Amino acid sequence: MKVVKIIIIVIIATVAFYLLNQLLEPKYMTDLVEGSMISQYYEEAKNHEVIFVGDCEVYANISPMVLYEKQGITSYVRGSSQQMIWQSYYLLKETLQYEKPKVIVFNVNAMRYDKPVSEAYNRLTIDKMKWSKEKYDMIQASMLEEETFLSYVFPILRYHDRFDKLTQEDIDYLFQRKKNTYQGFLINKEVKPLEDMPNVKKLAKYQFADIDYDYLDKIQALCEENGIKLLLMKAPSVYPHWYDEYDAQIEAYAEKNQINFINFLDKVEEIGIDYSQDTYDRGLYLNLTGATKLSNYMATYLKQNYDLTDCRQNPEINAIYQEKLAQYAKDIM
Amino acid sequence: MDLVSGSMFAMMLVTAFLYYVVPPKAKPYTILAISIAFYASLGWQALLYIVFSTMTTYVAGILLEDKIKKRQMRAITLGIVIALNVLILVTIKNQIFGKDILVPMGISYYTFQVISYSVDIYRKKYTAQRNLAKYFLYTMYFPYLFIGPINRYDDIENTLYETNKKFSSRQAFYGLARILWGIFKKLVVANRIQIIMTTITQDTTTYQGAYALFAMLLYSAQLYCDFSGGIDIVIGFSRILQIHLKENFDVPYCSQNIQEFWRRWHISLSNWFRDYVYIPLGGSRAGKLRTNINVMIVFLLSGLWHGTGYVLWGFFHGVFLLLGKVVKTPWKVVNQILTFLIVSVLWSFFIWQDTWQACQMIGSIFTQFNYQALLQNIGNLGLSFANYVVLLLATIAVFVYDGHKHKMNERIKRTGTEMKLIGVISMIFVICIFGVYGIGFDASAFIYNKF
Repeated sequence: MKVVKIIIIVIIATVAFYLLNQLLEPKYMTDLVEGSMISQYYEEAKNHEVIFVGDCEVYANISPMVLYEKQGITSYVRGSSQQMIWQSYYLLKETLQYEKPKVIVFNVNAMRYDKPVSEAYNRLTIDKMKWSKEKYDMIQASMLEEETFLSYVFPILRYHDRFDKLTQEDIDYLFQRKKNTYQGFLINKEVKPLEDMPNVKKLAKYQFADIDYDYLDKIQALCEENGIKLLLMKAPSVYPHWYDEYDAQIEAYAEKNQINFINFLDKVEEIGIDYSQDTYDRGLYLNLTGATKLSNYMATYLKQNYDLTDCRQNPEINAIYQEKLAQYAKDIM
Repeated sequence: MDLVSGSMFAMMLVTAFLYYVVPPKAKPYTILAISIAFYASLGWQALLYIVFSTMTTYVAGILLEDKIKKRQMRAITLGIVIALNVLILVTIKNQIFGKDILVPMGISYYTFQVISYSVDIYRKKYTAQRNLAKYFLYTMYFPYLFIGPINRYDDIENTLYETNKKFSSRQAFYGLARILWGIFKKLVVANRIQIIMTTITQDTTTYQGAYALFAMLLYSAQLYCDFSGGIDIVIGFSRILQIHLKENFDVPYCSQNIQEFWRRWHISLSNWFRDYVYIPLGGSRAGKLRTNINVMIVFLLSGLWHGTGYVLWGFFHGVFLLLGKVVKTPWKVVNQILTFLIVSVLWSFFIWQDTWQACQMIGSIFTQFNYQALLQNIGNLGLSFANYVVLLLATIAVFVYDGHKHKMNERIKRTGTEMKLIGVISMIFVICIFGVYGIGFDASAFIYNKF
């Protein structure tokens, strides 16, 4: 009888501990919505032919809905704020556990960083990943000195100080979260024009770090092993400045490894991006109109250069996407 | 490694596990091996100093016990061994040869221990430990090296070297609960107060007068929870191993005068100064004046041990101790409040760590009456309203429990396993949620670590 009582107490404590973790962790529903993006992938049907990985430059600028609407390409953006290249690599590895896309698009902006920028950004990418070896490896690769692995296992150890900041949102989204992206694309309709081009600071060093090349090699190897084409892209974000020296290194890498690379900064006119209307952050991110233009271009480019299926011909997939497109159309109005 | 850290708890767990699975005779050597490994991990210099102190006093112990018969030679031997160890302590602690020299963890604690051992052998209080490994365990038993207490050899030898121990769930529960209580005091109370202390001490121009007094009162709670919390962890862990360490605190803020305060605060240090400084100086046997001088010497030395900036703190404690013998009110509560206020105000030397600034802050209490401003600005000192409520409730809990520890422990002893389990789990929950730790906050450093 005593043993039964003890077991019951332990079970109740475990449930309570789980609930407390759920309650205290940020829900990212109305504020800092970027934190909820990574988990939304798990709820999707895994039939994407193109997967985008990278930092904010992908989830703000590429709309998979446009890719589908224009060319019937099924795609998903596994982007997150300040996603480091090693995080992109592990996210990609994790994605391959679920599906085998034909093309992986990696946004090369992360090549400029050789160490994690902040714990908060790590959290936005890692917290909502499902537990797997990839998540474990990603945590190990990303942790700053002041972070502990245990706080990723038990979020309460990180977010316990939210006990006095809990809001109705924490109750409303205790178990269920709403979707706030379309296939990983975050809609932003605001307009904040680019007024002056930001000053370009001279850097002490332009050479990408070895760690970045190592992970780029790993991404390429992963794609090769799985028969996936790798495409490198640089989104048309005006700042932080993408230096010619950076561009030359990526060009050289792409040429050496026979990978396609598009720097959309060179194609702004061709795409028709107007920084007085197509950006919501004075040139850092494109807004909905800008992202639509870029995605249109991307759709055509992908269709022309890769052997992708027009899934609009597949009634089953098309039915799902038409439903999404209808909702998307409402949201972008 | 810090006392409140995942790695430390893992080490405690491994130690406890190994302690109870190895053959009985290997128990002391198991802890010794872990202690040596731990100390070695802090750097070879740290190991060198503690080995030196241990070896010199080990040899001195044997010599003093039966090899040297002449009284004068015995005194000289004792004098040399004490001088050597004190010299190392003073030199290293004050970084006389530069800041590059590592101050070994627990150097004060083990130095005080080996001195007490040598003096006690000299006084023929007990016989010397002939087993070198066992003596090493006395000086290197790793938990106390973090924060004390200063253990007397005869107090702990029985349980430290006892091999015939079987795992006791009762002792383990007590030990675990004590560890959790210590963590609670440190993380929920002491670290929460630290947030306010940081705000107040960083701007000494704005935060004077009422703010200074507020800081002094809060610091009293912080230092108590920080220091006694650390001791709770050490005692609790030792209890799991069935090694009984003496208590270091006995509700010090209930004292009616400074003399009583020092019987209740950092008891192992106070007793050490009493037995190895005050009594050898003549204690109270050589007339009133001499007694008073001895008291002042003890307090000045105690201040000096904390650091040169604390001499005035020691001096005032000595003065108020002597005053307390003649000036007191007939009301117990008033005496307690006055003693608490004196102690709190004198913590200024710890808070501002600059003698002149501490004096300025004490002076500002009597010259600036900005209590209104403090009340209006109290929410801007780093804590939200909810955090103040948590702090208040947790502080009350600490003082209520610590004040009635024995009675409450008796009650807890009588409760069933289920209730004990619920208590432990609840404690873990409370610490997890309301503790101040993690990113952006250095939860690990104990204030008394540096002494």
